[in-house]
Amino acid sequence: MGADSGSGAAPGPAVPWRKVLWERQPFPDNYVDRRFLEELRRNEGLRQYRYWAVVQEAGLVAQQISCVALFLTLWLYMEQGLLSPSTLLWTGLLCALLGYGLYQALAPRGDSDNHHRTRWSDLQSASIFLSFTFGFSPILRTLTESICTDTVYAMTALMLLAHLVAFPYAQLSPPGSLSLNAALFASVCLASRLPGDLHTSGGLDSSSSPSSLHTFTMLCWALLVFALWPCLLQRLRDRAPWVFGCVCALVGVCGVGGLGSLWPGGAVLLAALLGTVTLLCPLLLIRLQSDKDNIQGPWDEAEIREDLTRFLH
Amino acid sequence: MVLKIFFPQCCNKADSGLLVGRWIPGQNSAVVLAVIHYPFIPGQVKQYIHQMRGQSGVDLTVLGSWSMPKEGQEGMESFLRDLSTIFPQGQWLQLSREMGKIGFRCEGEKGGEKDKVIFIHYEQRKVMLSQLHPIENGVPDPQTESQLPQVFGTVCQSEPLFFLDKYDDSPVKLTHWQSEGREGSIIVELMKQASTPVCLLTTWILTLSSVCLPRILNVRPMRFISSKLSTCVQLSYRTEHLQTVSSPTRATTHNHFMRKANIFVSFFVDVSLGLLLVSWMYRENRIGKLANTLVPAADHIAKELEELLQWLMGAPAGLKMNRALDQVLGRFFLYHIHLWISYIHLMSPFVEMILWYVGLSACLGLTFALSLLSDITALLTFHIYCFYVYGARLYCMTVYGLSSLWRLFRGKKWNVLRQRVDSCSYDLDQLFIGTLLFTILLFLLPTTALYYLVFTLLRLVVVMFQGVVHLSVDFINSFPLFSMGLRLFRSYRLAEGVKFRVLCEEPGTPLHLMMDINPLKVSRVVQTYRTPTYSCYPKDSWLALCKKLFLGELIYPWRYKTTKID
Repeated sequence: MGADSGSGAAPGPAVPWRKVLWERQPFPDNYVDRRFLEELRRNEGLRQYRYWAVVQEAGLVAQQISCVALFLTLWLYMEQGLLSPSTLLWTGLLCALLGYGLYQALAPRGDSDNHHRTRWSDLQSASIFLSFTFGFSPILRTLTESICTDTVYAMTALMLLAHLVAFPYAQLSPPGSLSLNAALFASVCLASRLPGDLHTSGGLDSSSSPSSLHTFTMLCWALLVFALWPCLLQRLRDRAPWVFGCVCALVGVCGVGGLGSLWPGGAVLLAALLGTVTLLCPLLLIRLQSDKDNIQGPWDEAEIREDLTRFLH
Repeated sequence: MVLKIFFPQCCNKADSGLLVGRWIPGQNSAVVLAVIHYPFIPGQVKQYIHQMRGQSGVDLTVLGSWSMPKEGQEGMESFLRDLSTIFPQGQWLQLSREMGKIGFRCEGEKGGEKDKVIFIHYEQRKVMLSQLHPIENGVPDPQTESQLPQVFGTVCQSEPLFFLDKYDDSPVKLTHWQSEGREGSIIVELMKQASTPVCLLTTWILTLSSVCLPRILNVRPMRFISSKLSTCVQLSYRTEHLQTVSSPTRATTHNHFMRKANIFVSFFVDVSLGLLLVSWMYRENRIGKLANTLVPAADHIAKELEELLQWLMGAPAGLKMNRALDQVLGRFFLYHIHLWISYIHLMSPFVEMILWYVGLSACLGLTFALSLLSDITALLTFHIYCFYVYGARLYCMTVYGLSSLWRLFRGKKWNVLRQRVDSCSYDLDQLFIGTLLFTILLFLLPTTALYYLVFTLLRLVVVMFQGVVHLSVDFINSFPLFSMGLRLFRSYRLAEGVKFRVLCEEPGTPLHLMMDINPLKVSRVVQTYRTPTYSCYPKDSWLALCKKLFLGELIYPWRYKTTKID
């Protein structure tokens, strides 16, 4: 069919060409007419971003980065012996109680029945956490004894990076498994590198093992910062969005300030990073939208747009 | 169609007479079994053949006539031709041979057509004693396939025909393979006579013991122990063998006979080797010396193990072990060794006496001595087995826990129904505790893995040694010595097929071929006549074994296979 006519040569317009495959037509197989690519659509469904909305969303990422920085600051304080673990422990307990009160105050109205149940289950969960952490602390404090410090730091860095990457920024409340687990793993690694009391370390050890209290404090703070704080944030975001923005900014400032008290260079770096993430990256995003060049057409995979829930009943 | 006549070599020089044999149906061939000489009375011949047909079950007939004229016996030809009218037959063969000439002549009358005739000479005695083994693979030729077994079967079953000879004083005088001189051995005859009462006695003893022993052995702990000790297994196995051999009924089929003979010879060789070993060991109180070195050997092994554990508790090969867990495991295993050594020292006064009496059981055969060796090794290295089990269980739990918690780390879980990994949303406390446990198990993995590796290697060494011993026992048990001897010294008894050699090919005379028996290949002899045993063979392939070792599952590399003797 069409073998005698050369490729691309169109016979006369006596028979109009139809875009069908089942019919023999006097055209070559690769013939296209002037309606070619008529149905091409460019950049369909392109979202128009507004700068300040994107900045607000990016603020959450910056908030999380500064959370990690705060955690590292606390660890640095304990490592250099500037804060004693018992002080930190009581502070943590206080913060937990405050946060819990705030959480309950911001609860949606209308299920008081649920409240009683969740308070009891919350108490159960808290006691499980505390008992397990306290029980495992003696094991955890000597876990990485034989591994050299560089490896431990590398593992920690990797895990915290994984935490930031896998964090569920859209829906904070049920915590993402990978992010939470990575953060806890990193905190265990760090906790085992804290210097211990003079009583507990052996006489001729080159590395002194931390005491159980150090480990316990570290893990409690990790739980607070990585597991419980996002739940409270989610509540805030739901109920009082403008407070949420202020809180994010506050956390950022605290992070920079905390790091600055120990390592000014680090504080400058952190501030730069936060500024990039919050202000520069949205700008880039919006600027680069104009370079987008998506094409859609009838060759795309079919998407079912119908609402199929009517089949559920 | 070509007419094939199987002619026995012993009748080549027979006097003239009648040919007795069988027509093979559908193959246009005939087997000549014997020649009946002059003088004979046709009626008596017919009666004799009828009697033989009944006794042997072979369809014997008079095939034709055979003439080898000597001096003073001319004029037989016409006489022989007239005989065809007396004996009823479908086809009458007239074979004749002249003195000094090699070839025969055949005149077969069948509607006047002159068929082409081939004479196939065979050695009657050898064919009678031989057993044909059909080839399993290869394209069977339908024509020759059923012909050869029928020829062999005919000669084999016609034994009653060969009892009477031309030298006997009977109305019918036959020439067949016995005419070349009767053969018989006094020893074989004596053994045949003596075998019956011996068989009866052995059967009686065995039934007596089979009544008593199950009462003892059916108690639960005894049954468990007796299934684990290879000596007891070997004992039960040999009892079974004895039962087969000593059954008073004669063996009916060839296979049955060969099996009985193989078992008997292997038993005999085994017992004689065992007696040799016993006499050597008890001669200069060697057994006492052996007993005296047993306890120091156990001590030495224990000391080596202690040194190994001390090495593991330090920093073995520079690996990073968790100190606390290391100390715990090391102390636990050291305490075990201490217990074991105390036990051995407790037993040491009795060792010599036990060994002396137990060594006597090697009289029952070399296989028993080897099984005893395997059992003693197992008992002496019992602590290594215990360590291996502890190490393997610990490692297995660590690996399973780690794999499950790794799935939790990623937010997935194992769907048992669908046998796949699915995503799962965990609660906060599940995540928390899961991560803690994952961290702990991950950092403790090198320690448990190292202990597991060391004890698995030790266990594998012991298992390899036991395996070698069991393989040799199995070899002695199952190797068909009688069949092998038969193949080497009387190779015509086990035939795989035949080969033909041209004897005489002259134009004008029919073709003469010589049929020689092709003996069975040695590998096929072993394969066909191997006594089925409880052979131990590797249960898993190498890949499955490696996978089991990696996951920490307990391995039992040798499995005993119980086969039914058919």
